[in-house]
Amino acid sequence: MSRVIDVIKNPLAVALALIVALLLLGNALSPGFASGQQILRLLIVAALLGIVAAGQNLVILGGREGIDLSVGGVVSLSAIVAGNAMNGMDGGIPLAILACIATGALFGLLNGLGVTLLRIPPLVMTLGMLGVLQGLLVVVRQGIPSGRAAPALSEFVTRPFLFGLPGILWLWVAIGLLMAFILSRTVFGHRIYAIGSNEQAAFMAGVPVRRMRVLLFMLSGVFSAIAGLCLLGYSGSSFANVGEQYMLPSIIAVVLGGTPLAGGKGGYTGTMAGAVLLVILQSILTTINIEESGRQMVFGATLLVLMLFYGRGRGLRA
Amino acid sequence: MTKLKLSGVSKAYGATMALRRGDLEIEAGEVHVLIGANGSGKSTLCKIVAGSVRPDHGEVLIDDTPVTVSGPRAAQALGIGIFYQELSLAEHRSVAENILMPDLPREGGVFIDRQALVEKAARVIALFSKVAGAELTAETPIGRLRADQRQLVEIMKALASEAPVLIFDEPTSALDRAQVDRFFEILRDLKSEGRSIVFISHRMDEIFAIGDRVTVIRDGETVGTAKIADTSPEKVIRMMVGEQEGLAAPQSAPPATAAAAGSVALVVAGFSGQGFSDVSFDVARGEILGFGGLHGQGQSAVLRALFGAPPALSGSVALGGAALRTTSPRGAIASGLAYVSGDRGRDGVISGRPILENVTPIHALRNRLWLARPGQLAQKALPALKALNTKFAGLSHSIGSLSGGNQQKVVIARWLIDRPDVLLLDDPTKGIDLSAKADLFALIRKLAEDGLAIILYSSEDAELLNNADRILVFNGGSVSRELGGADRTRYNLYHAAYEAA
Amino acid sequence: MANASPVTMGNQSRFGALLGRFPFLPALIILIVLLVLNGLFEPNSLSFRSLTGLVRTYMALMLLAVAQTYVVYAADIDLSVGAIASLVNVTIIVLMQHLGGGGLSVMAALGVGVLVGLACGLVNGLVVAALRLQAIVATFATSIFFTGLALTILPVAGMPAPAAFWRTYGGSFLGIPFVFYCAAGLAILLYLLARSRLATQLLAVGDGQQAAFQSGLPVTAIRIGGYALCGVFAALAAFCITGDTASGDPLVGAKMTLFSVAAVVLGGSALSGGFGTVVGSVIAALIIGLINALVFFAGTPSHWQNFVQGLAILAALMVGILVSRRGRR
Repeated sequence: MSRVIDVIKNPLAVALALIVALLLLGNALSPGFASGQQILRLLIVAALLGIVAAGQNLVILGGREGIDLSVGGVVSLSAIVAGNAMNGMDGGIPLAILACIATGALFGLLNGLGVTLLRIPPLVMTLGMLGVLQGLLVVVRQGIPSGRAAPALSEFVTRPFLFGLPGILWLWVAIGLLMAFILSRTVFGHRIYAIGSNEQAAFMAGVPVRRMRVLLFMLSGVFSAIAGLCLLGYSGSSFANVGEQYMLPSIIAVVLGGTPLAGGKGGYTGTMAGAVLLVILQSILTTINIEESGRQMVFGATLLVLMLFYGRGRGLRA
Repeated sequence: MTKLKLSGVSKAYGATMALRRGDLEIEAGEVHVLIGANGSGKSTLCKIVAGSVRPDHGEVLIDDTPVTVSGPRAAQALGIGIFYQELSLAEHRSVAENILMPDLPREGGVFIDRQALVEKAARVIALFSKVAGAELTAETPIGRLRADQRQLVEIMKALASEAPVLIFDEPTSALDRAQVDRFFEILRDLKSEGRSIVFISHRMDEIFAIGDRVTVIRDGETVGTAKIADTSPEKVIRMMVGEQEGLAAPQSAPPATAAAAGSVALVVAGFSGQGFSDVSFDVARGEILGFGGLHGQGQSAVLRALFGAPPALSGSVALGGAALRTTSPRGAIASGLAYVSGDRGRDGVISGRPILENVTPIHALRNRLWLARPGQLAQKALPALKALNTKFAGLSHSIGSLSGGNQQKVVIARWLIDRPDVLLLDDPTKGIDLSAKADLFALIRKLAEDGLAIILYSSEDAELLNNADRILVFNGGSVSRELGGADRTRYNLYHAAYEAA
Repeated sequence: MANASPVTMGNQSRFGALLGRFPFLPALIILIVLLVLNGLFEPNSLSFRSLTGLVRTYMALMLLAVAQTYVVYAADIDLSVGAIASLVNVTIIVLMQHLGGGGLSVMAALGVGVLVGLACGLVNGLVVAALRLQAIVATFATSIFFTGLALTILPVAGMPAPAAFWRTYGGSFLGIPFVFYCAAGLAILLYLLARSRLATQLLAVGDGQQAAFQSGLPVTAIRIGGYALCGVFAALAAFCITGDTASGDPLVGAKMTLFSVAAVVLGGSALSGGFGTVVGSVIAALIIGLINALVFFAGTPSHWQNFVQGLAILAALMVGILVSRRGRR
């Protein structure tokens, strides 16, 4: 009995079960929904969200109200930066990758410094940064033509690469393995959990709390930048504010994956499942023949129900 | 007549039994003292009566009628008022608003009757007008008050409830003599009005000054109740420590002083900082130096400052002959210092994480590890945990699954993998059970024999007397006396601790 | 220690005391500086006409900021205020249209609008306080739901408001622009609310939920009350949006949510709860408006405007937080 309860309480198990259930439901509503091709398309979309959520996950795990609202801005900006760096040519890809990572790391660094040195709450700091990034997007867009994705990049994201899966899915799997490795098998990972669950105790055990936190924000920027690069490959060219759609969904994916916003517990495997779940849910709602309005209502209500499974806080009375 | 009665009340938090069997009977018109060591379950008992903790078992009776205290509001309706040890004040609200927060005076249903608020509050504040200090007015925000003034406000808040049953959980810990005297006058007035008062304090003199009866709690169980007039401090202490008599009685033979002849490890001179000033001492390798005195006289602050959390403001420290400047725990650890806090929930335990991760952070730091290989780390962690007789099911289990004593052992074990030069123990046995204490002190003595320099602050005198080679008695942030050799007696310790207080 | 020297406390504490009483002081100073700068770049911008326009445009954000402030008091947050405003906007537009657009129908629609806002607030309160979901994600989910409702009521933007409505909002009464009556009404409302038990209780909950609970406050009910208040003010904001844009748009409020959070912080309230003022939030909403105006008047090339605005708001947020923290030391 207690084993059963353990499974029900395990966010990853719940998310996986829901994914299967939703796929079956989707297939029942619209035959072909769960076909290989369709699932592949869903996974590519989920990978984009999942990569952004990896950085979000790290920042949230680090605790102290850690959250990064600027991810969407970084995604958009890095898509433009990448587009211009490669401008439709395969030879420009290495430069594009470097430029993207530098962009993401820079804005992550700024966020991290604001949060640690100036002690601005992460929500406020990254919200302000989002405003700056959105402004910067307008500037960049006016000054330079929006670039195009190199053919190799587009192929990497959309065409099968190995065992019938496109490169981006392999990339996502690699990121998943890397995250799992970092979080469970490195001292850095242990320290992330330590500062997230008890910052004072971590400090007393010699963990460089501030440096850690800056690093987490930088990693969040880098992950968003990588997602921006992939997004460029997915859509061929960058368009206005493509990244905006990732801000809150990346947080939701983390929460649905079992990492509470308070940080200190959870992990990335759950977040990956959360991202897939979110994308399938949206896709089902697009598939079934209802108005956009009804779709949104069902989506919002479903999210609330899902959160009831785990996102709940403790009662006041001990 | 019995006003309030608790029988067989218990409460567990996970694996930790906070209260095993709490029994208590309070009459109308008495001050009933509740006493017991830290972590013995007094606060849990009080919170159950006040409704903020839900008991697992047991019964609460008021005027011989069983009642269910479903929450703090219900407790208020039942006529129970409480002073919380950790205070229940809203930092940015005014004194008046805090005093009347449980029932803000209404005007027209939805508004606060400002006039009534200030008037009512002023009446309560006036009770302490001579001792509270000029800043404590109805309009002052709590955040601008000193610790003793905040404590007075919490007292006022309890008094303003005008409840027939009032519970005071360590209300005097930050108060000065005059404030305590005034508070006791008020308590005596309340008593004469027929109110029932539960009073918790660690100060024996206060207990005998104000109490009518005393109930002793030990390890979560009510041990017994006695009339204050029929008992003595010695008898009460005996009830508190129970069979552990041997550990409590001062030993005539000094403990392992043989090793105390080692070379000087740590020299501290003119050390000043937040909460202490001009402290100088040295510790030899193999020596256990005790810090004694009443709680909060700067002992913790000195230890934390040595560890760089936060660093001292002035003074010099030398470790093994070389000058040492610690600006953070990270630096202190690198120089070979170790610090164990008694407040393990705040400073020690990385909650919700596996035992392994709780044992290895120092090892990882000192060896600049990047990878955390569970197998390799386990090999390092197991001997350290074993040295303390730590009981646990597996290294991958959450530290939260352990009892308080075992959690503290895990926290201490993290310092044993790579031996430090100096071990700073800041009341390390606070709230842990007796067998864990015994294991801990056996280890500490062994570490001293191995040549570590150890500084031990303990709020329990017996621990100091039994383990320390020398004892520095702290008073008001500086060392008032040093007790060594045959001078280390309970009498001298008490005397030195209380002399200027 | 107890013997805190009076010398070191002097200036610092006087500034602190002043800030304690008026946490919006830094925001007020920024506001004045911005007004002066605006005047320097474009003297016309300080004319009565321009200022009326400014208030008319930013009244909605002021109200949304106020709405957000009440939940932030209790250390909560509401990311659905914009969606509530959108929902109320389309609700009253459609109702007014159906009821004929006369004075009475307008009043009836406004009444329903307030109720809709209140209901949305109650839903948020139940979800966050009673069901104990995390406020950020839960109110984001409800915002999706509310947006869905708004789209049901009015699928596409564009239905016009009756002339009676927007003419009143944009017009004058006894020579004084109508928005100033709104502002006066808001001032009275905020004054009354500041004296309410709920406001004090919300702040106490924000200072420490556990302490508030132990004091015997009905914490859950109080937090729900905060969200309800937030919903009502979001509805009032929707009235102003409707007056300003004279039409219905199911997505009109979405962009304003994050600005409302920024305004709360800028106004000197702490996101961690327990500390803040609605006056600060109102001032901060005006600051955001003035920054936008200033960037325009300063002759910033059009495509640089958003960037400069973003930078200026970020800088203002930082200054606000740093100054109020120093004051609270």
